[in-house]
Formats: sequence, C-alpha cells, structure tokens
Amino acid sequence: MSATVQKSGLAVTTAADVKQQRLDLKADVVIVGSGAGGAVTAYELARKGLDVVVLEAGPYVPSKDFTEKFNDMLETLYQDHGGQTNADGDLLLLQGRCVGGSTVVNGCVCFRTPEFILQKWQQQYGLPELTEQALRPYFERVEKNLAIHENEEWEIARHSQLLRTGAENLGWSVRPFKRNINQCALTGHCLSGCKSERKQSMLVTYLPWAAAHGARIYADTEVTRVRADNGRATGVDAQIMDPEQGKVADLRVTADRVILAAGAVQTPLLLQKSGLGNSSGQVGRNFACHPSMFVLARFPEPVHPWKGALLGTYVDEFMDPDKGGFILEGGGLGASEMALLNEPGTGKPFMHYMEDMKHYSGIVTLIHDHSVGEISWQEETKQVDYRIAEADFPTMQQSIKASARLQFAAGADKVFVPSYQPLEINSVDEIDPVVDGLVNEPNSLRLVSYHPQGSCRMGPDPASSVVNVRGESHDVAGLYVADASLFPTSTIVNPQVTVYALAHWVADGMLADMNRAA
Amino acid sequence: MRQQDFSDRHPSFMAGLEPLSRRGFLRGSVLAGAALSAGCARLLGRKEAPEALEYEHLEPNEVRTLRRLTEVLIPASEGLPSSIEEVPTLGNIDSMAGKMPPQTRELFGLALWVFERRPMVSFSFTRFSNLDDDDALEYIRSMQQASFFERGLTTTLKTVVTLNYWRDERTWPALDYWGPVTEKWGVTRLGNAPLPRA
Repeated sequence: MSATVQKSGLAVTTAADVKQQRLDLKADVVIVGSGAGGAVTAYELARKGLDVVVLEAGPYVPSKDFTEKFNDMLETLYQDHGGQTNADGDLLLLQGRCVGGSTVVNGCVCFRTPEFILQKWQQQYGLPELTEQALRPYFERVEKNLAIHENEEWEIARHSQLLRTGAENLGWSVRPFKRNINQCALTGHCLSGCKSERKQSMLVTYLPWAAAHGARIYADTEVTRVRADNGRATGVDAQIMDPEQGKVADLRVTADRVILAAGAVQTPLLLQKSGLGNSSGQVGRNFACHPSMFVLARFPEPVHPWKGALLGTYVDEFMDPDKGGFILEGGGLGASEMALLNEPGTGKPFMHYMEDMKHYSGIVTLIHDHSVGEISWQEETKQVDYRIAEADFPTMQQSIKASARLQFAAGADKVFVPSYQPLEINSVDEIDPVVDGLVNEPNSLRLVSYHPQGSCRMGPDPASSVVNVRGESHDVAGLYVADASLFPTSTIVNPQVTVYALAHWVADGMLADMNRAA
Repeated sequence: MRQQDFSDRHPSFMAGLEPLSRRGFLRGSVLAGAALSAGCARLLGRKEAPEALEYEHLEPNEVRTLRRLTEVLIPASEGLPSSIEEVPTLGNIDSMAGKMPPQTRELFGLALWVFERRPMVSFSFTRFSNLDDDDALEYIRSMQQASFFERGLTTTLKTVVTLNYWRDERTWPALDYWGPVTEKWGVTRLGNAPLPRA
C-alpha cells in the first residue's frame, strides 16, 4: 500500500492523549528530537520500512495556532520559554522546543556547507569522507524536497534592499539568500512560526512524510536516559509531561538503535546524564554557537523593518577566514525584538527610540567562532559555558565596523552598537574609535545564538571525538548522533542544510550497516 | 560622537557588589534573600497595598520594585498607552514569572531583591522603589555603566519590563507596527507538502 500524507496537521500523541501511567513501546529505531536531524532520519528510515518512534520534549503546536506575536511564541515554541542563556547570562540561546524543533522558528535561510569548512573537516579533523562531492547528492535531495530557492526580487524587503545598496556602493559582494519556503506570504513572522505553512519546516514536510510511512511521533516526552547493555544501545526511558499538570506517564522504548537529535545543547546533556559515550571526555566540549549581533541603523526615510520576508540578502565579502571570517545578513524585526536587541538609553530616550521604529533597519552578524564552549550539568542544572574567545573578539568588532560602514553607505544617519551601554555612531569617522573602545568581557555585547553546534563532534579517533564519521558512538554500538552536535567546527553560515544533509548521511550509514549485518 | 563614558565611572555606591557575581553566592543566597524579605514582612505585620494582592506569582515586595521600574523605564508618552493604568505590564510579568523554571524564578527574585536595596548605600538608605524620578534614573544609568554584574542585572530587569509592555498590541499603533497579519489578510494555509517523488 502506498503511503499517504495528511493534507494538514500531524498525527502526534501528546500528554493529553495518554491515559496509562506507564507505556512500553518497541521499535527498530527510537529518535530523540523532531527537528532538522530527527525528522530527516525518521523519514529516511521509515520509508525504508523500519519501525520508527520519534520522541519530542516540546509540545505539538499546529501551525493554525501560531499567533504571530513573538513573545507568545517564545514562551510556547522555544527552549526554556525563550530564556535559555549561557552561564554569564549575556548570550541568549534560541532553540526551538516543539514538534519540528528549530526548523519551525528559524528564518528559512539555506546554505550548503561552505567548501572551506568541509576542507577543514577533512584536513584538520580526519574526515576525508566529507567532501563536497560526497555530500552533493544529499544537498540536492533536501533542496528539492524543501523547495529551496534563491529569493526573487519580490522577496527582498526594504531592509535587505538597503543592505544590498550599501554593499554595492562599497563594492562588496552581496547576494540574495536561498530559503526553504513555498510562495512566501511576506508576513515577516518567521521567528514565530509560519502560520500559513509556507515555510517548509519539518512540521509540514519530513514529519508528516515520516508519519505517512508509519513513524509514531510523541510530543511532551522528555527522554531521561539512554539505555545500553554490553556496549549496545537498547532504547530510552522517558517521561511524558503535561505542560500544565506535570508528569502523566513513564515511557520506555526498547530499540536496537537510538538516534540523538535533540540539538547541540540537549544531546550532550542526555549523554552525560546517561553516563554513555564519553570515554573521550569530549561530550559537551568544543561547543560553538555563531554568536550574532543585530546592528541597527536609523534611516531618514521609513523602512518598516517588519514588512516583507524576514531575510533577503547577505554580504559574503568577508566569509573567508582570511578576509575576516564573518557574514552580514539583512534581517527584519518586530516590536519585541526592537526592545530586546539594543540599548538606546533609559526612560524618554528609550521611548523615542521605539516610537521611531519604522525608520530602523538591521544587520545580523555571524562569525566562524572557535569551539571554546562547554555544555555540562552543574548539580541538577544544565550549564552552558561560553564566552567570546579572545581570538574571536576582533572578528566581532570587525563585523560591527563593516555593518556600520555599510549602513552609512546605504544612507543611514545613525548606527547603534549592540552593547549593554548606550553607544551610538553618527558618522563613518566615529566607527573605529567607538568600536575599538569595546572590551571583551561578560555583558559587553548583546549576543544571540540561533545556531548551537559542535558539542559531540565526529572524528576517527575515539580519544578525541564522540562519534565516527557516520554519527555512531565510538563507545556504544547502535547509538547515533544526528544533529548539529556532530559538527567538528562551526560552519559560519546558517546550519540547517548541513544538519539535513548529515542526518540523511547518518541514516544511510545506519541502513548500510544493517544491510551488511543481514 | 555620542559615546557615553562608562569605563572609569564606577560609582562609589557600587563598590562591594562584586561578590554577588559569584554564581555560588547567587544560588546560595537566593532562598535566604526571599526568606528574609518574606519573613520580615510577617514579623512586622506589614499590610500590603491592595494592588499587590492582584498578582499570583510575584511577591508584594517584588511588585513594588517592578512597579517603580516600569514607571521610570516607560514614562508617559503622547500617543502611547500608560504602562501602569492601561497596559498590564506588571500582570504580564506576573504571568511570565509563573512560567519560569524554579531556578530562574529564584534568580529573578534575587535580582529584584538586590536591585531594590542597592541604592541604600548612596541614596540615604532609600530603596529603589522610594527614589524620585531623577534619582531613580540616575541609579539605573549608573548601574548600566558599572561592572559586568550590575550591567547584566539591570539590563535583564529592563528587558523584562520593556518586553512586557511592548508585547501588548495597544502599543503598536503608535509605532505603525502591523502585528499579526495572516488572518487579517486572509492568507490561505498551504497544508503539508506532498511526499517527495523517489
């Protein structure tokens, strides 16, 4: 019988559906997490006939219930209700925590892994298999499946037109983004989830496709432990948690294969809690996160930064590490983000800044940061230790300077430094003295990470990596990682396509192993 | 250039707060701080203002601090609704507090406790909630220009207050902000994507 996809919505078991106090399931594969890695592996394995169970800690929120109010959606769809930070509290780590994971709330930006990043992984991290040629079929497949295309002119909003104008005036390379979206409605509410299901997130693609092939999906289900016996994965223990009432049931899934795809913060935490896969001592280490800033500028004419597609164009002039190692992305924002991302002063200055909102346009900076962070448990609490490395701080400064230069070249009359103190730049001449005065210390720059990565890095050596090139644990047979934790380094660009491709790569490796064993 | 000088202006009344930045202290003292304020209130038989009783998750002393902070951070502005009388800024914070994980809630309580009492060193033993507008603004600005701990503390509280004001759609017309549009525009939902062809 051929598989049939639901026209809308998703068959998900939630806490409200569970009447027993204990559930025992059996499957060929249990997958922890339903985002980019979990959904792709679920579909690729289910369509090959495997019995797949997907466990998602967050709620199932159908698209029709997205409110397009950012604060509401932060509280509903994001990890820790949008309040996940590093230990210093100066880096906001935004990750989706809902069925579909971060793919539900991202900005749709799609890049293949840059060639120089793959070369670094091949040459410095012992992964010669990960060539552009080897990964190309995976990139092509996901690009086709998710309607990934280059923005057409009508998809480039005023804020991104300004980025393009500034870059062209300076002679810098600037391009339209590629995005996974079908007939964008130009609402600008990507970060609150796409209410009209145009964003090709996992919620409307790979998850319903996996379900069509028989995958069972559980929401509200927090995995507490990965189980193993004699060096082989045997399944997971979990708790089904009602968002309001607390625990409603214990769940055990018995499976010969476990895939962890809970993201680069939760995956290492789960391994650490389970006491598995960490003979190298590397679980949770080498964490990178693309610390990004939002460099806001005021323009004489209205920009209406909330209007149109959230992300339109980007500057890749400085992408190569030898040229700076950062990219600049033209991005929109709404009222809450305006209040969150800059420091224009207190009291009346702040009110004037907000009232002037329609005149602002912003640039998101992304750097190829060093993997200096660590994820761990401190007593019963997760801890994300991440501070900007001394080696990265000059790059952060360069990215602010380039953003300011570009915005003045586009006609801005004022640029805000994304700092904790009110800092403004009113002319090109002021850029260097103001930005050079910044100090690398906690609570200095306003930082947001949308792309946690690299906390269970892959590699050939069990002494220095957590999983092999196919994502399987060096220590525990049948235990896999298939999310951004895998990355040996940060990717510099938005990582969703890299995760999709590697998840498919991991699934293919698993299937090949199973075929050989059979 | 309008760069404010923050590098060497560490106000004297900030001296001695540095130990609070040690996470061990933060964690260890959070319950003590909450217990102290709650215990003193009971000991003295203090009666809370009726409005303080409206909040389900915030302590009355927290409401006092947050109310004053809201008044100072979001002053009356033409065309915008009042942050106290019209927009339920405090109610929104109360609701947010109810959703915080226990540790975050404890730290939030400690942050308010410290922020409220910190001015006593230099403002004649006056708590933040009793400062007049000018002194309250001076205190907040000084905190933002001080050490990383004070900066973080103040920015966190400022963010909590401002986000819970600007999230209210009654504030949006003055910004020209369009808010939710999909239903207003009648945008149709596309549903799930069809299965890929092999």
